Amino acid sequence: MKLLAVTVSLGAALLVTMTAPSYAGGGDAIFKKNCASCHYTDGPAKEKTIADQLAKKGPELFYAGSKFQKGWLAAWLQDPKPIRPMKYNSLTEKNAGDHPKSSAGDAAALTDYLMGLTSAKVAAGKIKAKSTPQARNIFAKKMPCSGCHQTESKGDVSGGLSGPSLVGAGKRLNPDWVYAYLTDVKSFKPVRDMPDFSKAMSPKDMEGLAAYIATFE
Amino acid sequence: MSRFVIMITMALGLALSAAGSAQAADDAKQVFDFYCAQCHGEKGDGKGINVTKSFSTDPRNFTVTADMEKRSDDDIRTVIKDGGPAISKSPLMPPWGATLSDAEVDGLLAHIRKLCKCTAK
Repeated sequence: MKLLAVTVSLGAALLVTMTAPSYAGGGDAIFKKNCASCHYTDGPAKEKTIADQLAKKGPELFYAGSKFQKGWLAAWLQDPKPIRPMKYNSLTEKNAGDHPKSSAGDAAALTDYLMGLTSAKVAAGKIKAKSTPQARNIFAKKMPCSGCHQTESKGDVSGGLSGPSLVGAGKRLNPDWVYAYLTDVKSFKPVRDMPDFSKAMSPKDMEGLAAYIATFE
Repeated sequence: MSRFVIMITMALGLALSAAGSAQAADDAKQVFDFYCAQCHGEKGDGKGINVTKSFSTDPRNFTVTADMEKRSDDDIRTVIKDGGPAISKSPLMPPWGATLSDAEVDGLLAHIRKLCKCTAK
């Protein structure tokens, strides 16, 4: 009888080990403990209304592995400087820069976990960093990008404050994700204060724009 | 008796309709605050947080009656859906047509008319 109980317990433990996804260094456990109260990682996107979006404390991360660059993410988690000039979901409060810092070990484990959260909507290796006159014209003049996003030119930072800053976007964002986001924004963020540009720009223009953003320092 | 029933029904109908339009106004204000206030300001005075020194135009101040009564309802719907260039204005006004439903655009129009306390002349 005792032997049967031990066998069943061992079998159950083995089953759990085999079915639960495993991440190096327990990044998923660290995430659950330290990050999950503000970020969700189980996609697809859950928000259906403005109220749903406003109830969120931080951005969804179910496609973090497609959105971010690994080296940038590992460094940022240890020294999380503000990306958004304003507090998340606020037009009145500035970003206090109070995102919790992670130790080097936790940051490495979290990075491994988050980089495993990829989206099938992002085609890898399509967009390479490139600045063209057409894309520069779209970003600065034809489309309202600079109205909401900051950029840097020769040390001067300019642009609107409501969206995430694009200063350093070339090191932060995966250009393939930027392209996917522009062409199919609703799959990533069904409710957001950035317009859906899919009818205002051609896929070719969006490709050029994503490649141009990848050059931002 | 039947006259009493008709009167009660009418009163209920009016109350429900008033509650419905109050709800619609609240919804339109929420849509305005979420999408438009970033440039036009929550008060609609054109002083949103995106209007920094590099913002190359003044977002429309919806509280100026004299300006707003010159704009037709169709112009306002068009500029919301298709962006500034659709009525020869700045491309900093984005096209929201793929983001907002027609009902939301109509709600925004009603909200803007409330801010300017005006109708099209």
